[in-house]
Amino acid sequence: MNEKQTMLSDMASALFAALSHGASTDDWGRIEELGFAGLLLDEAAGGFGGSFEDAGIVFRLAGYNAVALPVVEAILAARLAADAGFAASGTGTIAEAASGAISGDGFTGALRGVPWGRLADFVAAPAPDGGTMVLSTAEARVEERENLAGEPRDVLHFAETPIQRTDADLFGLGAAARTAQIAGACDAVLAMAVGYVNDRKQFGKPLGKLQAVQQALAVFACEAAAANCAAVGVAQALDRGDAGFEVAAAKGRANMAAGVGTAIGHQAHGAIGFTEEYGLHPLTRRLWSWRSEFGGEQYWMETLGRQVVAGGADEFWSGMAGRSDPPA
Amino acid sequence: MQTFTIKPFEVPAEAAALREQVRSLIREHVPPGNIARRANSWQVNDPAFSRELGKAGLIGMTWPKEYGGHERTALERYIVLEELLAAGAPVGAHWIADRQTAPLLLRYGNEEQRRRWVPGIAAGEIFGCIGLSEPNAGSDLAAVRSSARQDGDEWVLNGQKIWTTNAHIAHIMIGLFRSVEGSERNAGLSQFLIPLDTPGITIRPIINLTGEHDFNEVFFDEVRLPADALVGTEGAGWTQATAELSLERSGPERYLSSMVLVTELVRHAAHTGEPAAVALAGRFAAEAWTLRQMSLAVAGRMAAGEDPALEATIVKDLGNSFEQAVPLLVQQVVELDLTAPEPLAQLTAQLLQVSPSFSLRGGTREILRGIVARGLGLR
Repeated sequence: MNEKQTMLSDMASALFAALSHGASTDDWGRIEELGFAGLLLDEAAGGFGGSFEDAGIVFRLAGYNAVALPVVEAILAARLAADAGFAASGTGTIAEAASGAISGDGFTGALRGVPWGRLADFVAAPAPDGGTMVLSTAEARVEERENLAGEPRDVLHFAETPIQRTDADLFGLGAAARTAQIAGACDAVLAMAVGYVNDRKQFGKPLGKLQAVQQALAVFACEAAAANCAAVGVAQALDRGDAGFEVAAAKGRANMAAGVGTAIGHQAHGAIGFTEEYGLHPLTRRLWSWRSEFGGEQYWMETLGRQVVAGGADEFWSGMAGRSDPPA
Repeated sequence: MQTFTIKPFEVPAEAAALREQVRSLIREHVPPGNIARRANSWQVNDPAFSRELGKAGLIGMTWPKEYGGHERTALERYIVLEELLAAGAPVGAHWIADRQTAPLLLRYGNEEQRRRWVPGIAAGEIFGCIGLSEPNAGSDLAAVRSSARQDGDEWVLNGQKIWTTNAHIAHIMIGLFRSVEGSERNAGLSQFLIPLDTPGITIRPIINLTGEHDFNEVFFDEVRLPADALVGTEGAGWTQATAELSLERSGPERYLSSMVLVTELVRHAAHTGEPAAVALAGRFAAEAWTLRQMSLAVAGRMAAGEDPALEATIVKDLGNSFEQAVPLLVQQVVELDLTAPEPLAQLTAQLLQVSPSFSLRGGTREILRGIVARGLGLR
């Protein structure tokens, strides 16, 4: 990490650890105070001028600490609003999907999977005809829903609401962000599991001395490492530009890791990890939610498969390995 | 907790040019021939191709010029290796010498050893093998019993090595022997550079389950070597050998052994449009891309002079599991006639049979996971 990233990481770590899954919307001011929403905005526009790699560090830490606030979404929404020339005020969020139609410059229909939609001032969403649209939520009718971890995932209904557009790939950005959150949450579950098995004694010794337990946690460590490397890789690709391949590969791979990690994390904890009072479920229930949000495993494998097949077998390796080569 | 530390590194500016150089060399010097030889190609020997790579300056890329090397960067070497492996080029003959034997000599060897052997290795003309495993010292390497005793100015070796890949084509072995009589476990071990034409050495083939001859038994019966056959420090053999193992842990060969089959699966999916095959192509791409990020990250840190041992172990375990799963998944998804001459069937058939070795060679899966567990703070 460079100096700027270390500073960002320290700042996010401290705040997110304090907020964690117990955060309430009353705490939102503390996120705003530090200017996180401007992370991906140009410095000229009062932002932090951060790269996607910088943002990835914050997203990962949001996942690691299971922060129950839409910090990730607000960062992406602010950037998309700026891209779309939408005069944003207040807090933005993003939608996972839209159904409905655009006529003229107005959207009529519903947005689904809107984190904290009930509190947002504006929302960026995949436009039904491609690209991204940004619109005010002032006139929206809100249908409140929650994901597995109790985080708001609302449905917002709009009627002829004016939109601003950008051709950014919101669904891809959402997938990249969830990849980083999955990476962070996997590391946090792994840390809890390691701490627990070193602490908990059975058969007269810590569980962590048992080879069966060690081998299972080693498998988890490999998966967590894969998710983390995928998250960094996709962020770097977003900074280079075209990241269609990496978004699909990274979210697809991270979804695999989330499946393995939640299973092993719970197994290592035994019954205590299954209780409400113990702090494992805020992480694992988020992981299960994120595993579906912005594309499940098969969705991304099929998407990537179609890309790869269209490129042709003889271009498969060179296409993949050459993507991060410096231009000749 | 973050188990896998990633630090930024620059992909070499010459990457694209290096890839093209490797591709054209393969087009020119690797005849189409038997497609199955492109699977697991770093265990497929073609001494003539090794010499061509030597001539092209693609062996010993990072070594000093005075020893026949080319003083390129570690990441440039990485690009060359991944291109060779992804194409299934037969790089087995010189692989061990390039990856381990010469780097070990450059690190621990004496000047005479370096001058005598390293330039020939860089030329693709001298091949090496690794003398670690013994009949009763496999995963438990510290159980090595083969001995080296001093007799005047000479060392005298006795004992047996086993599973020695390429002993039958190699010119030299770097072997681990117990040089202190009565020593136990990882104390009292030393490494020796052994020309394999030395009297008293007998090499016998062990034929693998596909009928191929890769590995051997090597017997040492009163084998006399000069005093300067010792590599590095007497008694430091364990430290040196485990450093050697870390050189071989996280390279691109740890996930690319089945890449040629992945490419053929992509071809099949493109040809048939079968949705399951298309999705499998995507899954392979996602896993391979992720592993490449991981393997490159380790290479980048090693290039910066660090020793990311835990990360390297993670890459090997995950990479082996991937390359091992490839033939099974292809077989699961595609209706194959394994007797047919088509590349997809031939490569699947070959890899189904050889892939069990992927999670055995260079440290078994269980040993690796034990190392990862220790890195996590367990044990």
